[in-house]
Amino acid sequence: MLAQVDGIYPWPYDGPWTPAGAALIVVDMQGDFLEPDGWLALTGADIGPLDAVVPLAKRVLQAARGAELFTVFTVEAHRSDLSDLPDNKLWRSRRLGRAIGQEGPLGRHLVRGGRGAEIVPALAPREGEPVIAKPGKSAFIGTDLDQLLRRRGVRNLVFAGITTDGAVQCTLRDANDRGYECLILVDATASDVPAHHADQIHTLSLAGGHYGSLATADQFISVLSAEALS
Amino acid sequence: MILPQVAADPYAWPFDGAWSPADTALIIIDMQIDFLRAGGYCDQMGLDIGLTSSAIAPTRAVLARMRELGFTVIHTREGHRRDLTDLNDNKRWRSARIGAEIGSPGPCGRVLTRDEPGWDIVPELYPAAGEPVVDKPGKGSFHATDFEQILVQRRLRNLIFAGVTSDCCVHTTMTNANDKGYECLLLADGSAALEIRNHAMIVAITAKRGGQFGAVAPSSALLAALG
Repeated sequence: MLAQVDGIYPWPYDGPWTPAGAALIVVDMQGDFLEPDGWLALTGADIGPLDAVVPLAKRVLQAARGAELFTVFTVEAHRSDLSDLPDNKLWRSRRLGRAIGQEGPLGRHLVRGGRGAEIVPALAPREGEPVIAKPGKSAFIGTDLDQLLRRRGVRNLVFAGITTDGAVQCTLRDANDRGYECLILVDATASDVPAHHADQIHTLSLAGGHYGSLATADQFISVLSAEALS
Repeated sequence: MILPQVAADPYAWPFDGAWSPADTALIIIDMQIDFLRAGGYCDQMGLDIGLTSSAIAPTRAVLARMRELGFTVIHTREGHRRDLTDLNDNKRWRSARIGAEIGSPGPCGRVLTRDEPGWDIVPELYPAAGEPVVDKPGKGSFHATDFEQILVQRRLRNLIFAGVTSDCCVHTTMTNANDKGYECLLLADGSAALEIRNHAMIVAITAKRGGQFGAVAPSSALLAALG
């Protein structure tokens, strides 16, 4: 059994936990959001704050693997025929000057199969670690994530990745409504606009953590490392 | 009836121009006594209901006009079954930890429990006969409800959001709707949070990246488009 993580409330809420009932969700650490010639940078966003979180996300990933936690990656990426792409989402991306599906340096923007839709090499998934391609922000909409987690008996979810104010919070909110017990790693998540990260963490912290607990990556890793040492 | 686009940020809404009462609904989220009224749950917790109740008047004006024009209006309420069979264990634990356990006696009846006084919608915005009311056990209105079934049955594709709180149930529902392809508009003054910072954050991230979750407009802009 693992000790509770010393977050804004001790996580998980109901006491010591096992790796078998938990999963690490690594959100959208993909080329289109992290590479200098990926979709997000080409729209003019500052990917610096996102790129900065890769080393810590990597430490979290290594610690989770060491403790044999189930690890799931998500990417925002559409089918190649774009049959899963809402009209308004396509229209908005055109207005940003980088239409979803358009050819770019990493392949077609936000489409499965290109480098932009792959997890960056520093965090490359291993065999047996599912990568969930999602058409929206939440990894629970239009995917089999819930199916994969329930099949394995996973109830506790730990979140790292990007962006805090985008896919991370949308997935966290849906997980919480579904009864998963969530932990968000405040320094292993990031937004391209640092104020949006801080503001999102603030609202998630209200009411003692009404979407789950919040902790630093080190607080989480220390619990896993203690297990590895014992 | 085809209506002109609403002057919204960051684009004129809806994105593709035409909209009408046949394809558009007003979604009023959780305008319940517990979140808005003196003596209700939030007030008793010392939270600022002055902010949340500020959303009532703009929403009321929009509601009246949209009713006249024959739009679908859907109301939601956060509240659990009286036997709490739909209450997640961790949600119950967290609520107990801050001194307001869901299902326990509170200032306006049992906290967040269906059919209790605090759970009801405020009189100013009370659902009219024929307006669907969706009871939900979580923050999002799609989860464990028939909300989407109603939207599909009525062929609704544009959703206008009002209600409380901006950063919780309104945002969760609107981002879910956006992921599902609905074209969403947030009423900046018809929605509110318990802290100004949180409302401002939601407005900012909604309009971010060309409107990643939809668009934002004041109720005056919507009323102007409604004529």
